[in-house]
Amino acid sequence: MSFEMWAEKYRPKTLDDMVNQKEIVERLKSFVKSRNVPHCIFAGPPGTGKTTAALCLARDLYGEAYREHIMELNASDERGIDVVRETVKTFARIRSIGEVPFKIMILDEADNMTADAQQALRRTMERYTETCRFILCANYSGKIIEPIQSRCAPFRFTYLPREEHDKYLRYIAANEDINLSEEGLDAIFEVCGGDLRRAINTLQAAASLGKLIDAKIVYSIAGRANPADVQKMIETAMKGNFLEARKQLRDMIQKYGVAGSDIIRQIHTEIFRTTIPEPWKIKLADIVGEIDYRLVEGADEEVQLSALLARLVEAAHEMKGAEKV
Amino acid sequence: MYHPWTVKYKPKTLKEVVGNREAIQKFVEWVKSWNKGIPKKRAAFLYGPPGIGKTVTVEALANDLKMELVEKNASDYRTEEAVKRFAGLASQYSSLFGTKRIILFDELDGLTGTADKGGVKAITDIIKTAQCPIVLVANSAYDPRFINLRNYCLLIEFKKPSSTDVLKHLKAICLKEGIKAEENALKFIAQRSEGDIRSAVNDLQALAQGKKHLTYDDVSWLGYRDRQETIFTVLRMILYGRTCEGAKRAVNMADVDIDMLFEWIYENVPAHLTDPHDLARAMDALSMADVYRGRIRSTQDWSFVRYVIDFMTAGVAMARVNTKPSGWTPFHFPGRVQMLSRSKGERAMQLEIGRKVKRRCHISATRASKEVLPYLRIIFKNNVEMAAGLAKWLDLSPEMIEYLAENKEKAEAINKLLS
Repeated sequence: MSFEMWAEKYRPKTLDDMVNQKEIVERLKSFVKSRNVPHCIFAGPPGTGKTTAALCLARDLYGEAYREHIMELNASDERGIDVVRETVKTFARIRSIGEVPFKIMILDEADNMTADAQQALRRTMERYTETCRFILCANYSGKIIEPIQSRCAPFRFTYLPREEHDKYLRYIAANEDINLSEEGLDAIFEVCGGDLRRAINTLQAAASLGKLIDAKIVYSIAGRANPADVQKMIETAMKGNFLEARKQLRDMIQKYGVAGSDIIRQIHTEIFRTTIPEPWKIKLADIVGEIDYRLVEGADEEVQLSALLARLVEAAHEMKGAEKV
Repeated sequence: MYHPWTVKYKPKTLKEVVGNREAIQKFVEWVKSWNKGIPKKRAAFLYGPPGIGKTVTVEALANDLKMELVEKNASDYRTEEAVKRFAGLASQYSSLFGTKRIILFDELDGLTGTADKGGVKAITDIIKTAQCPIVLVANSAYDPRFINLRNYCLLIEFKKPSSTDVLKHLKAICLKEGIKAEENALKFIAQRSEGDIRSAVNDLQALAQGKKHLTYDDVSWLGYRDRQETIFTVLRMILYGRTCEGAKRAVNMADVDIDMLFEWIYENVPAHLTDPHDLARAMDALSMADVYRGRIRSTQDWSFVRYVIDFMTAGVAMARVNTKPSGWTPFHFPGRVQMLSRSKGERAMQLEIGRKVKRRCHISATRASKEVLPYLRIIFKNNVEMAAGLAKWLDLSPEMIEYLAENKEKAEAINKLLS
């Protein structure tokens, strides 16, 4: 067993290694062949290979010394306009030496950039197209301003299909000499929903407990990695105890740092599992969807999610009223 | 159900009343003198600052002496006409059943100029011929409106009790509520109240109810007492506002910034809008206010702040349809803000580790601290060997290792493998 993060160790190195996103990979290969890359937007959910595709493209294009020709910037950590003005510009305007006449700037989590920074970026992209190409990775392309979108070739990444997900995890398990059972594999897919990074992290954490990985271990890992006891929180809200439910939510977010997007995804799953009348499930799904959308736009995850909890309290109250009639 | 502690722990007998022994003594003697015949002054005028036990003293005395207390407060006697209506009560010392009677006019300051025209005069007239003790209570006896009235009254001044007296009272309450309170926490509340026992008890309840322990940290934010006064008024205008305009105006009065005001509202909405529909509407308004905050952030256009204000004030005020105001509900300091400052160190550590992960894993430090860190925790707690390998690969410091392992011995074992 090796001691790196497996998600990194088993990250594909070249476009040929990439098992998924077939059409995208083919197009990227054609860029390598023609030695020309347009500005790109890689959009899609986490753990679907956006950053990997960008890195593979770079390696195929520049060879092993690709790091000299690229720069990776993460908008979640450095999202202000100053970064675009200074770092990005400095990198973009200096011509690359070598057979490929341009460098590549990978802007990860670009949907977290402020609108100001994006405006500045737009001009930089135009001005230095000759010397630098941009690859913007984002969960939501909708958060990238229109003028940038229109300058980029769009690539839409989707969750890995089940068989590719399984193939990849089995390959890692074999390599690391661990015994991954079929049920364990099912459980990982259920818990991680096709997010490969999360799946591999789960696998590695499970392997730290022992060589045999079955469903039970996977669920316990998922439970511990995710202190979000969403089921309990929903129950609390449905019983009408809003304040307690909000407290549970607060603990998840503040103490354990669970991402709001994860919590809402679990709420969505959970709603269809509860024993409420069927028509209510779709009503609640609409509410969840609305808040999910606001979560993207809003500033504060707890505020948005607790608004959702208040709607659950209200819905449960109405259901009770309907029963009595 | 919410029971104000000011009611729950209201003194039942004079012995329990905090402070003002002399004044109470004087008052008791005067009431007892009625048994020997009608005294020279047929009314006693108790005056002093709010919340120090004037009304409570009258009630406790009536209880101790088994007298029938007829209590009227400002809302009952607006006009001369209204006062005269119960003048008959004052014409007899003993009631039908032989119990002696005492009449209390409370909140005398509440009589306002024109609306209560003749009210003071009517009361004076009643006193002149009263056959039973009349007690007047007000914050000040020296209001010009009371010039004539004063001549017929025995003036008894109530003073602020010392903070030691207030402290004793708070301690007694904590004992009965089963709350272990730090001495300096209670001292702090007592001192801040400046002798206003009622506000001290209200503060104590707001801070300590439902808790087993009360620490100095829990109460120290009360240091902004004066600001609190304003913020409470502001919150009242928003949570109980009937017009959009009124609720919006509250923002101008608040001397905290918009974000902090948002926190205050967000914290207090659930307790004040208990009907599920009202609550959902109010929380939805706050959610929309937050969406506009997000729009400000992404556009950097501050003019959107007007919509934030609309939703967090008027939006919340208009949410109230079914919830009836039910007595006194305390306002709480935003719990999130308290928690945030407590977990600050922890979040800094998480981000540090996130940065280490970022250097290796093509993921932002922010996301790594949320998405990778939980898995590292599991590994560091369970597998010393794998943990040591990862610690080396990620170049983690001993503090980080200990944080992830959550256990000193485990951390030492990992460090041992590393060296």
